[in-house]
Amino acid sequence: MPESMHKLAELLPLQFRVLYRQFLLRVVDLESLSIQADIPRFLGQFASILIFISLIGAMGPLMSHEALTATPAAALSFAWRGEQSLISGMMLVVGLVAVISWDSTFPDRRDVMVLSPLPVAPRTILFAKVAASAALLGLAVLTLNFATGITWPLLIGSQHDSNWGFFQSFAAYWVTMVGASLFLFCSVLTVQGFTALLLPRRVFLRISAILQIGAFGLFLGVYFLQPSITTPAALALPENHWVLAWSPCFWFFALFNQLNSSLPVAFAWLAGRAWIGLAVVVSGAMVSLLLCYLRTMKETVEEPDLVPGARGSHWTPGFGSPLQTAIALFSLRSLMRSRQHRLAFAFYLALTCSIALSVLRSDLSYAARGRLNPDFLTATFLMMSFTVFGLRSVFSLPISLTANWVWRVTQIRPSEKYLAGTRKSLLCFALIPILLLSAALSFPFRPLTQVAAHLAVLAVVGWTLVELSLVGFYKVPFTCSYLPGRVHVQVLFWCFMLLVTVLALSTAEVEMPALNEPLRYAGSMVVLIALALALCIFNRHRAKSAVLHFEELPPDVITTLGLVWIEPSISQAQTTARHNRLNPS
Amino acid sequence: MLELRSVSKHFSGIPAVDDVTFSARPGEVTGYLGPNGSGKSTTMKMITGLIELTSGHIYFQGKPIQDDLIAYKRHMGYVPEEPYLYNHLSGAEYLTMVAQLRELPAKQSSERIDGLLRLLSLYDDRHAAISGYSKGMRQKVLIAAALMHNPELVLLDEPFSGLDVSSALVLRSLIQELAARGKVVLFSSHELDTVERVCSRVVILHRGKIVADDSIERLRSLMELPTLEAIFSQLAVEQDTQSMARQIADLIHA
Repeated sequence: MPESMHKLAELLPLQFRVLYRQFLLRVVDLESLSIQADIPRFLGQFASILIFISLIGAMGPLMSHEALTATPAAALSFAWRGEQSLISGMMLVVGLVAVISWDSTFPDRRDVMVLSPLPVAPRTILFAKVAASAALLGLAVLTLNFATGITWPLLIGSQHDSNWGFFQSFAAYWVTMVGASLFLFCSVLTVQGFTALLLPRRVFLRISAILQIGAFGLFLGVYFLQPSITTPAALALPENHWVLAWSPCFWFFALFNQLNSSLPVAFAWLAGRAWIGLAVVVSGAMVSLLLCYLRTMKETVEEPDLVPGARGSHWTPGFGSPLQTAIALFSLRSLMRSRQHRLAFAFYLALTCSIALSVLRSDLSYAARGRLNPDFLTATFLMMSFTVFGLRSVFSLPISLTANWVWRVTQIRPSEKYLAGTRKSLLCFALIPILLLSAALSFPFRPLTQVAAHLAVLAVVGWTLVELSLVGFYKVPFTCSYLPGRVHVQVLFWCFMLLVTVLALSTAEVEMPALNEPLRYAGSMVVLIALALALCIFNRHRAKSAVLHFEELPPDVITTLGLVWIEPSISQAQTTARHNRLNPS
Repeated sequence: MLELRSVSKHFSGIPAVDDVTFSARPGEVTGYLGPNGSGKSTTMKMITGLIELTSGHIYFQGKPIQDDLIAYKRHMGYVPEEPYLYNHLSGAEYLTMVAQLRELPAKQSSERIDGLLRLLSLYDDRHAAISGYSKGMRQKVLIAAALMHNPELVLLDEPFSGLDVSSALVLRSLIQELAARGKVVLFSSHELDTVERVCSRVVILHRGKIVADDSIERLRSLMELPTLEAIFSQLAVEQDTQSMARQIADLIHA
């Protein structure tokens, strides 16, 4: 930090500085990211990714000289598409920031219990929290617009007649981006704050987790489904009125053009909505924060340590053998009750829901004709793939490594039995729900025989995907250590999803005509079932000689911190010896 | 009988447990004592099969446990030193999961879980998340999980940690009752008064090596010391405790 900044910071009260620093390190929801996330490193990586995105976004105006010089209409369309894309991207990033920093602006139980006995005023805690959240938000806004915040005003400013065009566009751009970010972040704070004020604290804590997932799905869904309106004529169409009136992205698009003096007068009401919305949510956030600090801190101290469980029936479903039931229930409860796992799975579910929503939208046009179509088939394949691979990916995140000893101490059966439990969990919580969702979505289509035939294909494809995702996965869900630094896992996942998308498109193309030809359909099904069976037999065979993994790295590497070179032959010999002991048969 | 013969465990070449040999017999409670870092918990983890031995052998009922670890685990109940549990589960859910993992019949496990929860005063909070449990309640969940399958070998690593007075008295009697019913009980603790009352034999570990292995009575007469605390202090405590206490008081007073 420069000397002048240091001196400036020292003018602030010591308590505020200490708390601000602590809160900044905890501003991101640790539970949502990783059980032992490194916040400074996370913020560094987060900023680098946003700068990278900004640099790519900045290339747009530089690379599109042709579009800009063709006709004034083409230039306007290009500029509007870019503006809407930048604003919706900004709002998505701020939405994700709000999700990962969920609850961090409000005092939690730890803050209250640690800080209440100390001579610290609640307002100091409040200001330090707000400052920490503002720092994260500021980091996101600055880095995401690092390059686009110059190139786009340059492009749009060049359309002005006056020499001051760039400065007007530059100011309009930054005011709009800061306003859009504030609007979204304060909306989340307002909803959280008033929910906390209106509901009893225990109910709020449960609802808060659902709200977090809901907000996450909403931000992703809106980003993917929102149309782009790029001409004044399209803006004036009556069918677009609803989306303009209710989408904050278009309000801030109008605000930018108003500040840039390029908004058609007929749409000044949209910019007005941006100003009104901003005023409402900023006031709402301030009021709810103030009230929360006055009320919630006192309530938290008075809250009992032990929250009683829900009353009523505690019936639990069976999932086969006791071991399979234990693994399936453990997986389900971990998925439902751990914020980190819920949020990670919600990402994949949001993608699935976006596809489902787009299917529903296109269904309306196809349903009139009552025909099953390749788009629907592709969408169901993609939903299945995202959910199966998403859940499999979430299974790799541990929930509590220190508690895993119970699996090791009670391992009184061969590993293959445990892996059968893992397979059942994947089938029950990914394949079956997507089959049911697809069946519900296919309701408008006829003939029903074709729909049933497609669902059968989808079930076999889902089974194949489950088996494929279990190759080499010798783990009980949520029990093996995870190395967040292994970026190649994520890269591999996205490469795999790209491949799956291509496969889904081609499978739908092949399946569509086969649905009308029983012989061809039967042949295709035989091939698909044979593939799934082969994978299943392969996995079961490998499982017989597998050892359950609870550590991503071999124990030798963990105990030596990877500093000692270990002969592969020794590690291999130890693994074999361990396997022989665990599987004496 | 549980037997350890020349058991050693090295971490990166540093010995944590060094050539340990002792046995624990059915019908008696064997105390396993030592200061922090002496290798008690490492030994316990080797006996449970959680960590591998660098050298030596562990026998249960005359057979090396490494030969058939799965069969051995059916006979073993273990209370670990730290109450690490899955916090997102309730007490009842956790115990049901352990019963399923141990292949107990559903009806039997349900009856035992209900009974244990009632006797350990956890029944009213059985559906609350473990994250809200006190340290003593967590300890009770661990004790119930370790005993529900009626094990022949009971390994207790600091089982009194966090328990209130009445629960500790119940556990003390329970340990003696288990031994009286022919179980092998290996009990590690820092509470020397309790060890003196409960255990028939003690093994004292210091810096990974055994420095005493005998009945408490014999140790008292051999070393001519009145209590187990005095024996332990002589064998395994290197610091002048009174001088250290004085230094701490001086430091905060300065």
